[in-house]
Amino acid sequence: MNKYVRPGEGLLFMKIGTHAGEDLAAIIARKTEEIRCTGFGMWGYGGNTCHPTSMVQPFARIFAERSRTIHLCMQEMDSNHRADPLAAAEFSVDGIKWQEIPETIEVRGSRYALMIDHLHEERFMLPLDQTRVPVGPSMGRLGSRYIQGRVDKACLEVIEAPEVANQGDPREIEINLVAELRDPFAVFLRGERQA
Amino acid sequence: MTGLLGWIGGLFGGHAQAPEQPIASAPGERRRVDLRKAINAVSDVVQNRPRPLRVFDQIHMKAGDMVLQAEAVADWADGKRLAFIGDGDAIGLCVAYLNAHDILNFGPSHITVFDFDERTVESIIRFADRERMTNIDARLYNVLDAIETEPSYDFFYTNPPWGASNNGESVNVFVERGMEAVCHAGEGLVVIADDDELEWPKRVLASVQGFAAREGFYVSRMQRKLHEYHLDDAPELKSCNLYVSALPGNLRRPVSVAITDPRRLENFYGLSQEPRVRYIRARRRLDYGVAHEDEYELEMLERQGE
Repeated sequence: MNKYVRPGEGLLFMKIGTHAGEDLAAIIARKTEEIRCTGFGMWGYGGNTCHPTSMVQPFARIFAERSRTIHLCMQEMDSNHRADPLAAAEFSVDGIKWQEIPETIEVRGSRYALMIDHLHEERFMLPLDQTRVPVGPSMGRLGSRYIQGRVDKACLEVIEAPEVANQGDPREIEINLVAELRDPFAVFLRGERQA
Repeated sequence: MTGLLGWIGGLFGGHAQAPEQPIASAPGERRRVDLRKAINAVSDVVQNRPRPLRVFDQIHMKAGDMVLQAEAVADWADGKRLAFIGDGDAIGLCVAYLNAHDILNFGPSHITVFDFDERTVESIIRFADRERMTNIDARLYNVLDAIETEPSYDFFYTNPPWGASNNGESVNVFVERGMEAVCHAGEGLVVIADDDELEWPKRVLASVQGFAAREGFYVSRMQRKLHEYHLDDAPELKSCNLYVSALPGNLRRPVSVAITDPRRLENFYGLSQEPRVRYIRARRRLDYGVAHEDEYELEMLERQGE
């Protein structure tokens, strides 16, 4: 058992790959530099499974109140993300008050962003049968039954032991890249930064 | 359920054909529904419906289920005055439209939609005006405010935030307003989550049924796992129709008052999502109902000789 897969830990799982035409190695290098220059990074994403105010922020605050760090655990995959590489101009914690994204950060082709720190490569196996969705309409669903089809990211809590079922093999997925989430955890993005 | 589900069953059984013309029916008899016309009518409504705001738990029902739901509601509330306590799905407009165009020859005598989203209210008023419909109106209303109980309604319908993080209290708030709208004397249809695997929908169903019982209503019918939604993070989650009816002699409550108890508002739209917005106001625009100009730009054909 590694330090991320311990009962009571909170994880934000996400499949990653080419995004807005930029390959993963280039994204990692750019984000690492952004964190070095700014003190934090913004990891862009989309979809409603990790909506900033409905899902990620309430989820992260539960763990912050327990003095736990939420880890963003990412699985590399082949992808062909075709969003335009437009860089967002502003971000907002609540969708009401907006502020400019620091010049040292560029978030491309995304509606939302995770606020991250300590981005690094690390490999371990995540047993999805030992995780549950702790928030939102799928609250209580086992991670292995939740992450399938179009669902490629999720807020998850590690439970005591993997659920044993008669059907199917245990689902473990390889994590390749890890970061820490930092307050305010997730934000909305808008606008287009002028060159 | 009248003709529609039976007709669909017939399709799969291979012995049904879409009727070319409405099938004649005796006065007062439910006519068989022309499925193509019904689907196209619902498509008109979907085209008119504002896009959902997930932050307020606005999650839209899928179109096929809207057709069946509209027919079920029209059947249940035939001849009644029906109040919708919130209606982002636009089921109320579907019912009124199907009835006004005689695709259903039954339905509520009148529908009023109460919703805090001005985009929803205006979309109903605009659609009804365009289609010359007089059997529906809509009012801007926040469910936390006291509701007008005059004129009273016969039935109410609500598909509220499903209360996953507050044990169904947000559902109970909407149901309470519905009960007030019918002066605690009519019937209601509550659309809420229904799932065999998850725990929270069961707790919410129990909470709502308990609340209904305390308010002098009983569960008169339940249609399980009927509807699917455009819900990325729970694509398998379905909802049921929970029908409640007032007990005979159930007393009207004194007066409707604003809901301010913080315990009832906690986690209203989801975990840590208390209500902070009274109304969602619509931005005025001239290009309503068509592609917005900021979505596209034109690249012109090059003319010969230029």
